[in-house]
Amino acid sequence: MPINASRPGGTNSKARPSASRARRPVAPDGLRRIRWPQEDNKIPREIFTDPDLFRIEMDSVFTGPVWVLVGHESEIPQPGDFKTLSIGAIPVIVIRGANGRVGVLVNACAHRGTRLVEGPSGNVLRGGFRCIYHMWTYDTEGRLIAVSLPDDFPAEFRKEDYGLPRARVETYKGAIFATLNDAAPPLLDYLAELTGGLDRVLGDGALRFLGSIKVIFRANWKLYVENIYDGYHVTALHTGFQVVRLRSHGGERLVPNYERNGHLWGRSKSTPVNELTPALRDMSLFDTRTKPTTDHNMMVVFPSGVVTDYFDTIQLRYVIPLDLDRTQIEFAFFGRTTDTDEALWHRVRQGPEVLGPAGAITLEDAAALERVQLSATARGENVVLKGTAKRFPPYRHVDEAPIRHFYHAYRRLLGFPAPDTQKADGR
Amino acid sequence: MALAGRVDLGERRQAALDLLTQYIRIVDDPRRIEEWPALFSDDAEYIVITRENHERNLPIAVIRDDSKDRIADRVTIIREFWGAGGRAADRHYNDAWPRHVVGPVWVEFSESGDALVGANFAVYQSVQVDVAPRLLAVGEYKDVVEFSGATATYKAKKVILDTSVLQDVFVYPL
Repeated sequence: MPINASRPGGTNSKARPSASRARRPVAPDGLRRIRWPQEDNKIPREIFTDPDLFRIEMDSVFTGPVWVLVGHESEIPQPGDFKTLSIGAIPVIVIRGANGRVGVLVNACAHRGTRLVEGPSGNVLRGGFRCIYHMWTYDTEGRLIAVSLPDDFPAEFRKEDYGLPRARVETYKGAIFATLNDAAPPLLDYLAELTGGLDRVLGDGALRFLGSIKVIFRANWKLYVENIYDGYHVTALHTGFQVVRLRSHGGERLVPNYERNGHLWGRSKSTPVNELTPALRDMSLFDTRTKPTTDHNMMVVFPSGVVTDYFDTIQLRYVIPLDLDRTQIEFAFFGRTTDTDEALWHRVRQGPEVLGPAGAITLEDAAALERVQLSATARGENVVLKGTAKRFPPYRHVDEAPIRHFYHAYRRLLGFPAPDTQKADGR
Repeated sequence: MALAGRVDLGERRQAALDLLTQYIRIVDDPRRIEEWPALFSDDAEYIVITRENHERNLPIAVIRDDSKDRIADRVTIIREFWGAGGRAADRHYNDAWPRHVVGPVWVEFSESGDALVGANFAVYQSVQVDVAPRLLAVGEYKDVVEFSGATATYKAKKVILDTSVLQDVFVYPL
């Protein structure tokens, strides 16, 4: 095992500015207060309401030895193109450098910490990033290239010492991953068998960015992510599937390499559109035209990336915790560069209408998760039951049991005591 | 303008304003959403898009109901899929009450006599779980209204949202 995930470590690289932190997750009061049951199918509700824990998570999870999905190369096709988002609490700029390579820079001036770019996207090939406060200017690699009026600076001042911290970046089939921790293993080791699912969605990586929609869910980020692992809610909550009589035929929920990380790979085959109840006049929402079968993949790249090819909708989601009870979800939509105009337009019409903030099977998740969040102050534990008779993946597509593996990985990162995986209470 | 000789632009202007008022009354009343599709022409489109995507010419919209069928389907999705506000009383996912505040409104006319109606809006959403209303969206309408005799209908209603981040999910049309 190349990395002991319970001890995020690593040393700061002297060769380049680095945002890595050599810090073991401390167990301050925020952690000790939380009583985590021995059984791994019980989730203490305090983890959704404890402000100390939230701050610790931003370090131990998001700047821990993980790779965070931050984009796809097609979102920033030209040199100088950038987009902004956050890795946990750290604002970053995902940029294609003048040399064509993708980088991830911390979005804070090295001088006085000013946000360098405010907007969601743009291009800075010509001017670089110029801080409004004291006109410090950085190039697309994050190197400080100009400061205003540097006379009377200390004699030892060197621009080379004030570059923007850079995350380690690797891509897989065009998907951009970043880590702020030197102890993160190489991306391929981290993704492990999940690459099998990613290959199906990302293909050779030649995607075309169609746009994204961002929305705030009023729930803790973990509730959003665990919802993807949960196959049990799909028919119960998403009434639209019942109305058109769309069912999953077989399918499974895999947790690839579950002993080391908590990724999810859900696979399902849905009822073809011509066998559905035509409850809508335009049933293209549920049509699969660009694939030979109605097989879909829904993946979580632990801790916060979602990748799916549901119906004809190719989508990446970036999960950004804003606060204990508020999480920003960015839904980014893609076509393939080989798409006909007709196929591309079908994707444009289908994607947000099914899997977007106003989507036919998305709104309910927001409503349900908000209600879980609202009553998390009730204390006690949430419990995971369906499919837990099995200890290990693969699970059935309708099981919620994979949620346990998300929390195994989460507990390891935070230094919570490991669960007793032989015990699953409640049956 | 030759048009002015054939039609009464003052009447059309008033009809376009009345249509907007009617629209707001319907989308603000969860009990009346079945009346919403009739406000649109047969070849109409209803689009909700962020300013970011609109200005970058990215085609992804929050809502792209680009046919009368999809406009009618939205009512089915609200009522049957989401079980909101009406018949499926046991399946209220988002028991929300929207409230539009619209103004100012400006009206111009195209060569063909369609009214181009623009308006600023803010939409609040009052939900059962909160004591305070939530500001859901702020933006601009860019509408095209066409006329058949005295009847005005939307040929296109484009809702442009000022922020690239939606503050909440929403059930009823903006």
